[in-house]
Amino acid sequence: MAIVDTGQLRLHVQRMGPRDGSAPTATVVLVHGLLTDSLASYYFTIAPPFAAAGLDVIMYDLRGHGRSGRPESGYTLDDNIDDLEALLDRLEVTGPVHLVGNSYGGTIAFGYAARHPERAASVSLIESEPASATWAPKLGGILQRVLHQLAHNEDDALAWITVHRGHNTARLAKGAARLARETSLPQDIPASRVLTEDQIAAVRCPVLGVYGGDSDLALLAPWLEKVLPDCRTVVVPGHEHSVLVEAAGVVGGHILELIEKAQVAAR
Amino acid sequence: MNPQEQAVLADITDLLTKLLEDEYGLDDVEIDMATTFNRDLELESIDLVTLAGLLEEKYGRQVNFAEFLAGMEFDEIIELTVGRLVEYVVQSLKAAG
Repeated sequence: MAIVDTGQLRLHVQRMGPRDGSAPTATVVLVHGLLTDSLASYYFTIAPPFAAAGLDVIMYDLRGHGRSGRPESGYTLDDNIDDLEALLDRLEVTGPVHLVGNSYGGTIAFGYAARHPERAASVSLIESEPASATWAPKLGGILQRVLHQLAHNEDDALAWITVHRGHNTARLAKGAARLARETSLPQDIPASRVLTEDQIAAVRCPVLGVYGGDSDLALLAPWLEKVLPDCRTVVVPGHEHSVLVEAAGVVGGHILELIEKAQVAAR
Repeated sequence: MNPQEQAVLADITDLLTKLLEDEYGLDDVEIDMATTFNRDLELESIDLVTLAGLLEEKYGRQVNFAEFLAGMEFDEIIELTVGRLVEYVVQSLKAAG
């Protein structure tokens, strides 16, 4: 297990590259989502084919998640962007990178691109959105509902999840409840600083949005294309929020296509 | 089970025993070919990332657990048994000569 100490905390990082030892054509950074997620959602899905396509693939566990350190506080969006910045500095990745984020991970990836436009070659948002003025209260509301149910009757809530969503999801939910109890994450995320529409529109690199056809977030696709100067969105029918793990081949294919086009355009 | 499968099962049992002890403090888990990673061992997907690293340390890069799982459907991963991993490792080692 590779641990990188950013000076603030220890982050679990995994890196995959071309297996034949050839020099990678570009670097892609994969950022996972909140609470039940970890870098494993990439490690066993799109990371191996990305490495086989010649990319240097970097993935890491967000603070509090997976095998990374779990400080009690510091869970605003800016803290997460600071961690990503510190990680890439430690890894001495100085050139532009292709950023991919799933759910909240996409909000981090987009935030990084907004903060450092010169370091973002492209951004792929999977079931995700920029940190707009409506994003923070919406995510805050979802967090509050989930945590309220788990806090008041965790056993009943977990039993319901086991029956309706399976044993695996129930175990993940238990881990998520622990993370929410032990840290300031539920308070910090809704209190995050958000971007104005002008700041969102200032991200000029190619942006791809991938959404599940049955997800509420798919409704964002037209807005995203209108606001961003270089944006294409794809809706994958028959999927909800877990489109990354359920339709990894389709999602990965669209992202690789974006990265390859952006690489050609940058030459 | 042939001798090579037996040897690989013994190796993988050692790796999993170490992982379960390091991460969860468990030291009395029984493992055989029918044991499932998800329901029986209660391993989370991030534990499988750790296992991928342990397998690479043990056998070298010809055993690529990430690629093996990336080729599977989500439901297949949930049902994955130790026996299926043993077969994959044996095949990979044969292919590498």
